[in-house]
Order: sequence, then C-alpha cells, then structure tokens
Amino acid sequence: MITSPYCTIGPYFPYSFVDGLEDLTKFGEQSARGQRIEIRGRVLQEGNLPTRNSILEIWQPDANGVFRHSLDPRCREADPGFRGWGRSRTDAQGNYWFRTVMPGAYAAEDGRPRCPHINLMILAIGLTRRMVTTIFFADNPEQVSDPVLDCVPMEARNRLFATKQSGQADDCLSYRFDVILRGENETPFFLD
Amino acid sequence: MADYQPYDDKTQLARKIDRYPLSFTRNPSAPLIARPLTLSERTGPTGLISELGAVDKLDLSRASADGPRAVGQLISVFGRVMDEDGSPIQNAVIELWQANSGGRYIHEMDRTDTPIDPNFTGEGRLVTGPDGQYQFYSVKPGAYPVLESGWWWRPPHIHFSILGPSWMTRYVTQIFFPGEPLNETDLLLNAVPDRDVRERLIFEFDSTSMGAVNSISFKRDFVLRGRRQTPALH
Repeated sequence: MITSPYCTIGPYFPYSFVDGLEDLTKFGEQSARGQRIEIRGRVLQEGNLPTRNSILEIWQPDANGVFRHSLDPRCREADPGFRGWGRSRTDAQGNYWFRTVMPGAYAAEDGRPRCPHINLMILAIGLTRRMVTTIFFADNPEQVSDPVLDCVPMEARNRLFATKQSGQADDCLSYRFDVILRGENETPFFLD
Repeated sequence: MADYQPYDDKTQLARKIDRYPLSFTRNPSAPLIARPLTLSERTGPTGLISELGAVDKLDLSRASADGPRAVGQLISVFGRVMDEDGSPIQNAVIELWQANSGGRYIHEMDRTDTPIDPNFTGEGRLVTGPDGQYQFYSVKPGAYPVLESGWWWRPPHIHFSILGPSWMTRYVTQIFFPGEPLNETDLLLNAVPDRDVRERLIFEFDSTSMGAVNSISFKRDFVLRGRRQTPALH
C-alpha cells in the first residue's frame, strides 16, 4: 500500500500537547536513573532568523543504552522511570529546551558501537515533512566513529555534536544544540 | 523486523511551494543525507497511551462529557491505521486538532476575530483498536483566512498527528473535506504531484456507515511507513 502524504503541522499545534513533555526524567510515578542533562538551543531559518512555534521531538535510549521497545534484546532492563521520548516547542526567539539523561552507548546490530546520541525531529510551518537529525555527545568529536555520523560530510560533522556549557546546577549538565534549518552552518539532516 | 524505506517523493507533497515563503527559508539547501537505520531509529516510544491520556472513545463536539454541544454540523470521523502491508497498527496514539465551526482555533497564534465557542476545545487524543481502527465525533471545522503569507483561505480540515510503533512511523498531516470549493485553491492541498496523492488527503463521505444518527460520517485510512522484511536472498 502507498504511504499517506505528510502535511505541515501548521501554526496551531495545541500547547497542551507539548507543555510538560520537555522533561523525560519522570515516567509514571518513577524517576530516571543516570546523569541529568539539559539541552537548550534555538531553531533558526535562513538569515539566522528565529522560528517561532516549531515543534521538536526526541527519542533516545536510557542511561545504559537500552530502548524500552520490543526490538531491543535488552528491553526488559530498560529504566522504568525514563520515558525516552520528549517534545518541546520554540518561543518567539526560537528557543527550545529538554531535560533528560545522558544517553548510553550501545552496540548496533552489526556490533559497531553507536556513539551516545539523541534522535531529533523538527516540525514547523513551511515544512511539509518532518526534518530528522541526530544530536551526538562526545568529549572529542573528531575521534568518534559512528555508523550514522560517518555518513555526514566531514566539514559538517561538528554541527551534530551538542556543546557542553560551563554553568551547571542541581547536578545537571548543560548542553547547547542549535538547529539551523537553512543558512550558514546549516544543520545536516537525514533522508527520511 | 520492519523494513523502512525513505518516503517516495511521488507520494508526498512538494517541499517548496510557490507563494508559501517559509517553505523556501526553512528547507535546507544541502541535500538530505542517506544513513543506515540502527536500533535507535527503528525503535520508538512505547507506553505513551496512559502517559498522554489517549482514549478509545472521543467526542470533540462537547468541551466536557456532560456539557452542551458545540455549534456546528456534528460529524463522525473514522478509519484505520495500517502499515504498507495493510496490517493494522494497534495502540497508535492519534492527536487531533481543528478549528471550530467558524474557523477559529483556541491558540495564541490565531489572531482572527472569529469568536471562540465555549463548548469546543478542538483537541483530543485517541488510541487505535485491534484492527487499527479509530473513530471520534466532532463538529465540522470552518474555513479561515491566512493573514500572513499573502492571503489565502484555508479550506475546512482536521490535523492528525500519529505516534506509531517506531521513530520511523511518526506521521503528521491535515485531512480535508470532499467537495469544498476552497480545496481548489489551497496552497498545501495542491502541492501534490498527482491526483491520487491529493485524494489521500481528503476524507471520503460515507453515507452508510457508523456514527450517531444525527452525524455525517467521514472516512480516512492512514498508511504509515513500514512493511514486513522479506528474507535476504543468499
């Protein structure tokens, strides 16, 4: 059968479908295990202009690199206090935020290790389909080998790494990740 | 394990649309990058039904279960969510949002002077049943003008956001009503390469089917990406 056509999310996605889902560290009544991190950034369009009211969603493994999904052979070990999925929206300046845990590394199906990362998708007015990319975490990005990252042209790879910020509070590490939909230092996006 | 191929552009809307400037300033200039799909991309969130409060019976035609009916034509909307093999997708979460019968959203970005209907929120979450089926009641949304981007009228439509079994099946769209004159001029609905694709964005009017006796029924099935993987040839 033929896949249904995507269409833009438009400007009126209800705030009630978003607010509260920025924090992935609580699921049901439980709290997640692992290093708390906060990711903040902006979603920008051509000319470095902010996009207001973009919707961002993330999906990631828990602190031990386990996905709470039946395809993961370690599914039963998944952290019951970690939702793994979150949603945020940009304000008038294009700012978004997530609070989550540092994703664990894991071995891909072929045994190659996957660098700690978070899958990210962006929906917005003007985009008839979602845009997908990946946020990577590493102290030395140039030393990372990862089957997805290795598809990205060398000069653009650095743009997929979250930047550690100096300030931190409540044992929570701060990271920055800007999404540049179009323009200078454009974020690499994957064929979807 | 499911096999997920990139969307065939022929089945989708164009990315860049004339007279829709944001489609030019927000779509990347660099080509999209092909990548392998590992566990990370093939898996996706589970356990969201209770977390998001998705229900199997939804009536958007009232703001509360025992409240008065919203203004507008009562409609019943139904269909199935399935994969590319036609297999039903159970427990998909469907998020719905729409304008009221006058064409007004309850949203700070909606600056039209059309009144809000106190008996209508225009948003709700559903979960699909064992056959991938869903059904909800609502009132038919009104058309509304787009005040930016050079004035055009949006025909009546309902927004659907579907969380399927995988990160790869995440899906968002808008579904239109058959026979609306504004369908002929909508920039989005007409940003499709062929007539078949356009039809998949429009409800089928159903004169015979389920729904309360005083509602008009509209049907729309959804096919999410993914098919059962065929064994590799040796």
